[in-house]
Amino acid sequence: MIPRVEDDYDDEYYDDDYYDEDEKDALPPESLARKTVRGVGEALITMGLVVLLFVVYEVYVTDLLSAEKQQEATAALDSEWGSNTVTPPPADPNRQSKLNLIEGKAFAKMYIPVFGNDWKFSVVEGTTDKHLEIGPGHYKDTAQPGEAGNFAIAGHRVGKGAPFNDLDLLESCNAVVVQTQTQWFVYRVLPMSSEVAGWASNPKAKQPACAGVAPLSTTLGDAYAKTVGQEIVLPTQGEVIAPIPHQTAAAVPADKQARLLTLTTCHPRFSDRQRLIVHAIETKSYPVADGFVPPEMTEG
Amino acid sequence: MYGWIWRHLPGPLYLRVVEAVVLVVGIVALLMFVVFPWAEPKLPFNNVTTQ
Repeated sequence: MIPRVEDDYDDEYYDDDYYDEDEKDALPPESLARKTVRGVGEALITMGLVVLLFVVYEVYVTDLLSAEKQQEATAALDSEWGSNTVTPPPADPNRQSKLNLIEGKAFAKMYIPVFGNDWKFSVVEGTTDKHLEIGPGHYKDTAQPGEAGNFAIAGHRVGKGAPFNDLDLLESCNAVVVQTQTQWFVYRVLPMSSEVAGWASNPKAKQPACAGVAPLSTTLGDAYAKTVGQEIVLPTQGEVIAPIPHQTAAAVPADKQARLLTLTTCHPRFSDRQRLIVHAIETKSYPVADGFVPPEMTEG
Repeated sequence: MYGWIWRHLPGPLYLRVVEAVVLVVGIVALLMFVVFPWAEPKLPFNNVTTQ
């Protein structure tokens, strides 16, 4: 008896199932509420997909678009350097004739050996969005490479080639090499604020890479007390790219100013709430010569 | 919305699938190359300069 009942039940169950599927084929009546709920749901899913696509655009597509622009700028720079009659570098390697900077055009190449020998960018003049899509941009009216004052460069941290993606990883004494048509300039990241106090007793200070690097407050005086290897500031603190960072009223005559390099990017990553700033000081320069590559280029 | 579009695509099933793919690719391209480049400077992600 009992098994038979179970059989019956099973049959009934399957019958129900078939019955349900028949019902599905005939769509339920479309009420206005049903349509509205579905419409809102679909709209929300669509907006979510658009936001995801935007992330893909920011992080990957802008890289591709910028890589092309960077390549064009580099090609233009190479042909300019190749065709121009090279004015010989001045006798004093630290005195150089001014470069003729044209907005949106590359005028120098930049290397950070610790980021690998594939890390190289052509630096363009200007820091508008259009300029920074091409590559790192030189703040107009700041010093030129090798000049006394502050050679300041901005670069993207996310997307658009993200030249300054890893700027936070730079340590004191890391080299940043800048090449112009006639000269190489080697800048080295200054001691971090935590290293300033004990720099003299720090074993790192004796490494060959740190030759010429010391807290600026000890070598150049109090005007440079706030100029350390890395700082995080508010977007409004434009004084970090002043000839003497944080000193808007020039306290030191131009010929006694240090030759600094300042890199700026956004911080934290994916946000523009703050700016990450890296300061470096020129320690060496070489004339450009065929086949010559500064030894600093193989560091890292 | 999606159901409405699907029902209004003409032709047999295989053609509708092709049409749907073309539509999606077209909209993605429009977003990537027109809408996002326009919208991006207005969003606060990528300001790297100090003022």
